[in-house]
Parts: sequence; C-alpha cells; structure tokens
Amino acid sequence: MDSIVVTGLGIVSALGTGVEATVEHLLAGQSGIGKIKYLDTRHCSLPVGEVPMDDGQMRELLGISSEKAITRTSLMGRIALREAVMQAQLCSRPSRKVSLVSGTTVGGMEKSERFYHDFLQNNERNEYIALHDCGACTDMIAHEFPGMFDFQTTISTACSSAANAVILGANLLHTGRADVVVAGGSECLSKFHLDGFHTLMILDEAPCKPFDKNRNGLNLGEGAAYIVMELAENAEKRGVTPLCRLSGYANRCDAFHQTASSPEGEGAYRSMMAALECAKLQPSEISYINAHGTGTPNNDESEGKAMMRVFGTNVPPVSSTKAFTGHTTSAGGGVENVISILALTRDFIPANLNFSEKIESLNFVPVLKVQSHVQLQHVLTNSFGFGGNDSSCIFSKIQSV
Amino acid sequence: MSIYIQSFSHISTQEPLNDQWFDAPHVLSERFNPCVEPDYRNWMPPMETRRMGKLLKRAVTVSLDALQKGQCEMPDAIISGTGLGCVENTEKFLNALLDNNEECLPPTPFMQSTHNTIGSQIALKLHCHGYNCTYSHRGASFDHSLLDAFMQMQLHQIHTALVGGFDEMTPDYFNMLGKIGYWRKMELSVCDLRCQGHSGSISGSTAATFLLSDQRLANTMCEVKAVEMFYGQDFSRISAYVNQILKNNGLTTNDIDAVVMGLSGDDANDAVYHRLTASVFQDIPVLWYKHLFGESFCSSAFGLAVAAECLSHQRIPTGLLYSPDSGKTEKKPCNILVYNHFNSIDHSLILVTA
Repeated sequence: MDSIVVTGLGIVSALGTGVEATVEHLLAGQSGIGKIKYLDTRHCSLPVGEVPMDDGQMRELLGISSEKAITRTSLMGRIALREAVMQAQLCSRPSRKVSLVSGTTVGGMEKSERFYHDFLQNNERNEYIALHDCGACTDMIAHEFPGMFDFQTTISTACSSAANAVILGANLLHTGRADVVVAGGSECLSKFHLDGFHTLMILDEAPCKPFDKNRNGLNLGEGAAYIVMELAENAEKRGVTPLCRLSGYANRCDAFHQTASSPEGEGAYRSMMAALECAKLQPSEISYINAHGTGTPNNDESEGKAMMRVFGTNVPPVSSTKAFTGHTTSAGGGVENVISILALTRDFIPANLNFSEKIESLNFVPVLKVQSHVQLQHVLTNSFGFGGNDSSCIFSKIQSV
Repeated sequence: MSIYIQSFSHISTQEPLNDQWFDAPHVLSERFNPCVEPDYRNWMPPMETRRMGKLLKRAVTVSLDALQKGQCEMPDAIISGTGLGCVENTEKFLNALLDNNEECLPPTPFMQSTHNTIGSQIALKLHCHGYNCTYSHRGASFDHSLLDAFMQMQLHQIHTALVGGFDEMTPDYFNMLGKIGYWRKMELSVCDLRCQGHSGSISGSTAATFLLSDQRLANTMCEVKAVEMFYGQDFSRISAYVNQILKNNGLTTNDIDAVVMGLSGDDANDAVYHRLTASVFQDIPVLWYKHLFGESFCSSAFGLAVAAECLSHQRIPTGLLYSPDSGKTEKKPCNILVYNHFNSIDHSLILVTA
C-alpha cells in the first residue's frame, strides 16, 4: 500500500500554543501542570494541565467576537487546526478532497454544565443547546477554514478518540476518499470530567507519577492537536515536505471492564502487536514508546505488562508525557502523536517526569531525563480509553533513498 | 469485494426485535414517542442488566439478536454511531453534580455516560477484542459507522462487522431540543408529517444494528454496493455523487426501483429531498421511515433497514411510500438508493441491491 506521510502538526496544551512552545517545555523538562486557574470548580486544589488562556484570550487569538456562541473545546480545536493547516500549506497548495476527523467525548459540556438550568428553565442560552454534542464541536472547529473540508466526522472513544481519528484517516486515504486528512482531537476541562474522574478515585492530589511504584492517579489536562496526513505522492504533487511517515496503526478492544484495564493488558498487547504487523516491523525496531501512562495504579501496570509481552526483556526507551500535559482525554492521542513526531523528527526523547521507584512487576524503568541527539527511527505511541478502546500508532522517519 | 447485510435488529418505537413494522406498523401520532422495550430477561440475566442504562440494554440486545439472526458468533469489528451518547446517565450525573455542588457523586452514571460505553458494553458481552469504534457526528453518526466498516472490508482488514446506531430521548433533552425547533408544535392528528408549512418533526428512539459480512449466505438480505458521505451545502454535488455512484455500478436512474429518504415533516429538512425528487429522481417511488421511527440522530439507520427489508422481502409495502399513489410498486425491487442529510450539510448516499 502507498505510504502515508505527515505534512503538518498543530497543538495547544498546558505547554502552550504551538509546536515550538511544546518542544521548549519538553526539552527543558518543564511541566505545564499546576493549580486550577480557569475552571470554576470546588475541587480547586487538584493539579491540572490547563491551556494557559481563558476563553476571551482564545477568541482574541482567533479573531472571534465575544458575541458569537462557541465552546472552549472548539476554540482550542481551532487554534491547533490553524497551525496544522498552515504548516501543511493547505491554503496555498490546496488539495481537492480534504477531510477533518476530530475526536471528543464531552464536547460542549463545559458550557452545558454552566447553562444547564437555563436550558431547562428559560431561553437565555438556547444558542448553546445545539453546540453541546460532539459533532457540533467538530463543525465549529472546521469553520476556521470555511469550504476547506468536503468530509467531516467525529470519533468518540474516550481517551483514544484522536488516535482512532488517525486510523479512520488512513483508511480514507487508502480508499481514495480523501487526498488529505486532518486528524486529531480536542477536549477542554469541565466539571463533568473532573468530578467524574474524581468519583472513580483516580485523580492524584499531587503531580502525577507515571510508571512509579507509588503512583497515585492521573492529573486531568485539556488541549487539542491535529496532524495532517496524505499519501506520499499527494504531498509530492503539492510540493510540501513530509515530516515523517505514519507506518502502522491498530485499534483493539480490551473487553475486560468498563473503566479498568485487564491485569495482563490484553487490549494493549493486541493493539501494539497489530500496529507492528501493520507497519511490518519487528518489536526490536521500535526506538521509543510514548506510553499512554496515565499514572493510575491500574493503567501503568497493565500497559507495562503488555509492553513486556510485546518486547520481552528489551523494552525500548519508554516515557509518558502526561506529567507534562496532564491527561488530555480525547485530545490525548493527538497531543501524544504530535509529541511523538516532534521527538522523532528532532531526535530527542522526552523525560517521564516525577519518577522515583520502579514498579516491581515490570522489567523496565522509564526515561528519567530528556535525551537529546538520539537517532530515532520508529516511534510507537499508545492511546487507551474507557471501555477498553485501545489504539496504537507508529510513526517512522522518512528514508533517504 | 462484495459487502452484504446478513441481518438487522432493532428496538425502537415499533415492535422490538422483529419486522412487524414492515407490514403492520404502529402509527405514531405523538410528538414524543417512547421506545417499545422487549423483555430483556430473555437476553441477559437480571443481575447483569440491573445497573445498565436503558440504551445499553437495547444496544447489547439488538447486537445479540443480529448475530443470532446472521448466524455469526464473533464479529471482527463493532462500530457504533450515537449522536448524543448515553443521555440518561449523562443527565443523572450532571444533575447530581449541579444539585449537590460537586459532592458525594455516584460513579456508575459517569462510568456509563461516555459515548463509547455502548460499543464497549457490546464488546464486553461478546468478549470481542477486535476493532471497536464510535462515531458521534450528529445526524450522520450511523452513516459514518457504516462508512468505516465498508472501507475496512474494501481494504480486507475485516470480514464481519456489527454496525449500529443508538440514540435515546429523555424528557429533558426532548424539551431542550424543542426550544431550538426540533419538534412539531402540535399533535399529528391535526396534520400529518406530509403536510408542508411546518417546522419540526416527531421524536423517536433508535437502537438498530446490522451484521455485515463479505460473504453471501443463504439468508443474506442484500448487498451494499456503495457508501458515499460528504459535507457541504452545494446542492449540485448531491446529484453529481448520485450520478457517479450509478455510473460506477453500471446503472442509470431507470434501474433504481426506489429511493429511501429522511423526510421528517420539517420544511427546511424536507426541501432538499423534494428538490432532489423533482430533479434527479423523477418518477421513482420515494420511501420514508421517520413516520414510523420518529426523528433521532441515528434514525438514518432505519433508512437502510427499509431498503434492506424491501430487498429481502422482494416487495415494497404501501405503508412505506411517501406518496401512496406513486405506483410502480408491483415490480420486485432490485436496486434501492438511500439518501439522508443532516442540516443540509452532512450527506449520505448508500446503494443497496438484491
């Protein structure tokens, strides 16, 4: 099958706006997690990874008037989409069939939870009723470039949504239904999410410690990130330089429990193995794994065991970057795809912050300090969601022929 | 590569888990139309369903039924569409959160609130480790699920798939959508959905699933020849896509025995369908389904069901004809086109043949 290349990246997270801010923080080992500043919640002591802008600042950045009804998920999505589209030069070097595949789970909930009593009791906030659902968020994000997309859809598989957007994107390209696909996700913090994760008792009250023996849960984050994908020949025709290849991808289901992962990481194992098979790679060829690594006791052990099943005693360098960004839920796959591609193309491995002690049942420790000037060939990134929706993507360097 | 519909199952505003609606449907006359529930004890032990939301019970049951009817034990993929996800659980958690000011909240409604709870509950019940994905894109959620399955079969990634559409309607969500024009202002006894000059439709409830496979079997209902989805307001593109699909399959409009459309009684929604009928589909019988199943984000699944059942029964019952006097229904149908749009921007065309 023809090879798929990535020609644009866009990201906004707790690390700031854009790939450069992201790389700077990753190289400096500077986390974006801190005290809650923008979300109006009583759990204000919980650490989170908020995008360092309020809605007004995002509107200003995008040139959207304060009168227009729009959700925070859509605002963040538009910021990331704009960067990705610009890098891929989709405006100046257009393609005929461009698709947008975006992931989200709570969509416009952050506004709905604020205006819910209005929705039910009066007509003050009716314009937000139609913006509540997931699809509405994607449509609002796409409006950043009116007329650009001839297919738009929304994937909602919780924390693996953005990774699954990439998988659908690959199939749209391989069946010729799209020439270019912009794939990723967007999700803002909401009380609904924060309280939901809180009731499940999986939020750490301190900065999260992925893959640490004494890890105590995750920190929620928010953000948006997209990658621009196209067949190599389409990129060549458009005259844009590919950043890397999307060489493998897979979606498998743990089918174990609604919110917990199986002890041996069955879904994770299957999704990594299937992605390797799709990429026609041996496990030993993977140079870095950007793990799902949420920092919950359950995920990290389960994912770690799955890695041991795939890689045996030679688990490649692993880090979870969630201690930088927080767990950005539906955007997570997008944020980590972008981080993985940045690592691959700029030859560094981001650190797994806050680690001090190895998990006894695992045979590896994560990367403790950022490693620069390393040669990476193939990077694997995992995104796992509630309901056992597990997906893996592999990005590879462009081979010089 | 040929792709077939092996079976269909539904729990909706009609009699559940059978095709009674095809010849003897319930006539809907209310603005809010509740779901007709089957006896779930026939499908799952009460212990298992006790904590399951209604939509989840429906989704698991229609999946089991479709697999049984299609004689398949384990599908390669489970692909679900839902416009609004698990609304009942979302409202439960949201109300508790607002009423109790974020304290002492119950975890179960949150756990069962995410849209992909539906697909993952089906996977859990079947122990299915294969591809599992959920689309939530308004009125095209089911259609995009079908597109995903269709492409994966074209690319030989899977051989069988459960493809479903699932949406429930709660009284609160009904009222909220009513405020932004989703429903008729008066009961249908005054004026049915075919009367023009009205806005809004009637609400329905959708749990509908299809078993797809790449093999023709003895009980195969029909073949899915083409699945095309696109976004945009340009009307001329709809006819361009229709012509392209027909050409790709060696057909002309004369070969199309019926067109199934998402006519809902809402003037703005129906205008696109009427325009298409007057231009591209002149003299072709128009079938509809929202008068039987109501409007919900995934109701377009019933459009495909109408086409599949007509091809499988080899006849078109008059109750499905939008204009009962439109004739030409004596002939055994062979090719049926299903066209749906949402807000005139998300378009879906599906060609099915006997």
